[in-house]
Amino acid sequence: MLSFTGMHELLAPLLYVLNVDLERISEARKAYEDQFTENFDGFSFHENDLTYKFEFKKFSEYAEDGTGKEKVSVKASSLSELDSMTQTIALLSDAYGAEGELGIVVSEKFMEHDAYSMFDALMSGAGGAVAMADFFSTPFGTSHNVFPPVIEASSALYHLLSVVDLPLHNHLVELGIEPQYFALRWLRLLFGREFSLEILLVIWDEIFSRENNIFKKPADNDAESNFGVLDSPRGAFISAMAVSMILYLRSSLLASENATTCLQRLLNFPDDVNLVKLTEKAKSLQILAVDENNSTSLSYHQWLHEGSKLGITRAHSLSLDSTSPRTPLNIVPESYWEEKWRVFHKEEDNKQHDVEKQVPNHRKGWSEKVRLRLSRTESDPSPSKVDRKKAPKPSVRRNLLEDLVQQLGLDEDADIIQCNEDINYDPVEVNRQDVTQDSESAESEEISLNFSDSPSPTHGVNDHGNESESSVGSNLCIDENDPESNNSESCGTNPECSPLPVSNSRDVTALKCAQNDDSVRKSATDMKERKLLSGTLQWLWKFGRNKSEETSKVAAASEDEKALNGQSGQSNVADSTADGCDSSSGTCSEEAVDRNLMLNFRNLGQSMLENIQVIESVFQQDSGQVGPLDNTSKNSLIGKGQVTAMTALKELRNISNLLSEM
Amino acid sequence: MGSSGQGQSNFDLSFKILLIGDSGVGKSSLLVSFISNAVDDLAPTIGVDFKIKLFTVGGKKLKLTIWDTAGQERFRTLTSSYYRGAQGIVLVYDVTRRDTFTNLSDVWAKEVELYSTNQDCIKMLVGNKVDRESERVVSREEGISLAKEFGCLYLECSARTRENVERCFEELALKIMEVPSLLEEGSTVGKRNILKQKQEQHTPPAGSCCS
Repeated sequence: MLSFTGMHELLAPLLYVLNVDLERISEARKAYEDQFTENFDGFSFHENDLTYKFEFKKFSEYAEDGTGKEKVSVKASSLSELDSMTQTIALLSDAYGAEGELGIVVSEKFMEHDAYSMFDALMSGAGGAVAMADFFSTPFGTSHNVFPPVIEASSALYHLLSVVDLPLHNHLVELGIEPQYFALRWLRLLFGREFSLEILLVIWDEIFSRENNIFKKPADNDAESNFGVLDSPRGAFISAMAVSMILYLRSSLLASENATTCLQRLLNFPDDVNLVKLTEKAKSLQILAVDENNSTSLSYHQWLHEGSKLGITRAHSLSLDSTSPRTPLNIVPESYWEEKWRVFHKEEDNKQHDVEKQVPNHRKGWSEKVRLRLSRTESDPSPSKVDRKKAPKPSVRRNLLEDLVQQLGLDEDADIIQCNEDINYDPVEVNRQDVTQDSESAESEEISLNFSDSPSPTHGVNDHGNESESSVGSNLCIDENDPESNNSESCGTNPECSPLPVSNSRDVTALKCAQNDDSVRKSATDMKERKLLSGTLQWLWKFGRNKSEETSKVAAASEDEKALNGQSGQSNVADSTADGCDSSSGTCSEEAVDRNLMLNFRNLGQSMLENIQVIESVFQQDSGQVGPLDNTSKNSLIGKGQVTAMTALKELRNISNLLSEM
Repeated sequence: MGSSGQGQSNFDLSFKILLIGDSGVGKSSLLVSFISNAVDDLAPTIGVDFKIKLFTVGGKKLKLTIWDTAGQERFRTLTSSYYRGAQGIVLVYDVTRRDTFTNLSDVWAKEVELYSTNQDCIKMLVGNKVDRESERVVSREEGISLAKEFGCLYLECSARTRENVERCFEELALKIMEVPSLLEEGSTVGKRNILKQKQEQHTPPAGSCCS
C-alpha cells in the first residue's frame, strides 16, 4: 500500500532544476551563439551523446555537470575565456540531438520525459539501496511485527545518533520521542520541508552525488548492517544528514524537558541554518555511519538499548532481513551472561595466585564464547572479534590433551598424565583445572542458554566443536610460542607420546567433537551446580563428571587426588568415547549432521538421565565414598554439601528431561 | 510555521489532544486557525505535526499539546503510537464530502477503539467547512446522531471563518477536566511521575550495557 501524499514535493525540485537548466542554456546560447556552433565539429558525438543523455536523464545534478565539464574541457581550448558555467553549458550542448545543438540533453520538448526519468530513478532507487518509494509504502494488513521501511530507517537514525551522541539519544528516548515522529517527514520528502529550496538543492546535490549501490559486505554481515537505509553511500549520507540535523539542535533539545517542545524544534527546523556546518557534520557522520555499519564493536549494547526502548526494530528486521542475518535474539542474554561470567571470574581471581597466567586464560575463555557466538550466528568476525578469536583456548587444548592421553592408552599411570599436563601448564598447575572450568562454565552458560532458546543453536554447538578442532593447531602454536604444534610438543616432553602419528589427529578431533557435545551438555547443567556451591564447586564438577560413568566409581573412591584428577579426565574421555561412538556417526560425519543431531541429543539426554540416576544411588547408598574424596579435594565437602549437591543433581535431572524432550 | 508557547510557562494542567480524520478535511487548518488565528492554505501533513496552545478554561491554565496527524497514515505501526496517552481525540470530517463522514465510523472510530490507550478519553466529532453551506452534503442531524452513537461531543465549525473553532477545544478541555482519571493524568505532578517512571525503566539497561 502506498501513500502518495508528499511525493509531488519530491518531484517539484526536480522540475525546478530542469527548468532552471533549460533557462540557463537558452540564455547562454543566445549570448554565445558562436561558441555553440564553432565547437560542433570537434567532437566525437556518438560517445558524448550517449553518455550525457544517459547521465543527465538519470541524475541531472550539478555534480554531473561538474564531471561533464572536467571530461570535456580538456579538448575545449577556445572556450577558455568564458566563465566555467557557460563553458559547461556550451560543451554539454555539443552533443547533437533532435534540435541540432542543444539536442536532447536539456530540451523543453523532453522536459517531461526527463522529469519522469529522474523521478522514477528517485522513487525506485534504480536498483540501489535507497528507493524513496519505500518510505511511502507500508505493509498492508500485515501482522504487528512487520514494519514499514520508513520506520526501520527512522530507527537507523536513532541508532546512528546513539553512537554519535548517546546522551542526546537517551534524552530523546526518555522523553518518548519516537524517531518516526519527525523522521517520517524528513525521509519521505528528503528534507524537502525542512529547508528552503536553495538550501535543499545543495543538500540534494550532496545526496545524489553519492552512489546508491548497495554495499558489498562479504565479511561484515552482522547486526548493524540490517538497516537497509545505511546500505549505500547515499543512504548513509541521508542518515548522516538527519543525525547532523538533530545534532544541530542539540543544545535546545537537551534544554527542553518535554517531548512536545523537542518535537516542535525538530519539526520546525530553523531557516537561518548554517549549511556548511550542517553538511560538513553530515559528511563526517557518513563515514561513521558506514564504519558503524561495518563494525559490531559498539553494536550490542546499542542494539539492546534500542530494542528495549523502541521494541520495533529488532522484531522487524529479524523477520524481514533474511538476506542479512543479524545476531539472533540472544544478544541480551549473552551480554547478561558475559557480565555474570566476569563476576564469576573475579571471584576466582581472588582465590588464585598466578594472576598473570590467569588473565590470558580469561581471554581464551572469552574467545571460546566469541567463537561460539560467531559460529552460531554464522556471521563473519568483525575486527574486534578477530583478534580475540586468535587468542588460544585452554579448554580445547586440554580436551585435546585428554584425548591424546586417551589415544595413547587408558592404562597409563595417572601421574604420567598429570606430569604430561604439568609440562604444558606448569605455571598454573593448581589453577589449571579452575581455569578450564571457568572457561568451560562460561561456555556452557551460553550453551545452556541456547538450549532453552530454540533447537537451532544446537547446530551452533556442533559448529563450534568442528570449528575449534580445525583451529586447534594454530591456536596452540600461538599460545605456546612454539613453532611446533601441541602434538609435537607433547612428544618432545613425554616419551610415551612420541609414537603419536599425525593420522591420529583425525580420530582425536572426531573424539573431541563427540566429547565436546557431551561435555557441553554436562557442563551446561554443572554450571548451575557450580554456581550454587562456590566452595565445593570444583569437587562437585569433578565428581559429577566422574560419576557420569559407572566405571569410575570405584576408581574415584580409591585413588588420591592426582590420580583422581587424571582419572577424572581419563574416564571422562572414556565416557565421551563411548558416547562418541554412537553419536559420532551423527555428529562427526560431515554430512547429515543436522538430521542426526536431534536424535543424538535425545539419546544423550536419556543417557544423562541414567547417569544421574547412578549418581543419586551412589549418594544414597555409599556416603562413605565421599570421605576420601573429601580429604583429598581442595575444598572440604561436608554433609551440607551433599544436600546441595543433591539439589543440584535434581536440577541436572530437570535439564536432562528437557533435553530429551527436545 | 510559528511555534506558540514554549511549554515552560506556568500551567495547571496539560493534556494531549489528537486530531484524526480523512485527509483534506481540514485538521491542520482547524489547528492553525485555533493556534494562530490565521487561515492559510496548508500543504498536506506528512506524518505528524505538533502544536502547543496555552489557554484558560474554567479558571484553569491549560496547556494543550495537539497532535495533528496525516489523514493518509492509516497503518497501525505508524499511527498507533500517536494515540498513546491522548486525553482527547477530535474526529474531523468535511461536511461537503460524505465519504469523510462515513469513514469516521468505518475507519477512524475503529482505530480509536484499537489504539487509544485511555479508556476514558474524550472523543469529539467535528464537522468542518460549514462556511461552504451551499456545498454541504452531511446534515447537522446526521452528525449529531453519529456523535450520539459514539457517545462523543459534537460541533460544527469552520476553520476558515474560525466559527466554533475555539469553542471546540474549550468544550473538549472542559469535558476532559470532568473526568477524574484524565484530570489526574493532566496534572503536572502526575506527568512528572510518569516521566520519572519512564526514566527508571530505561536506566538499568543503559547502565548495564555501558559498563
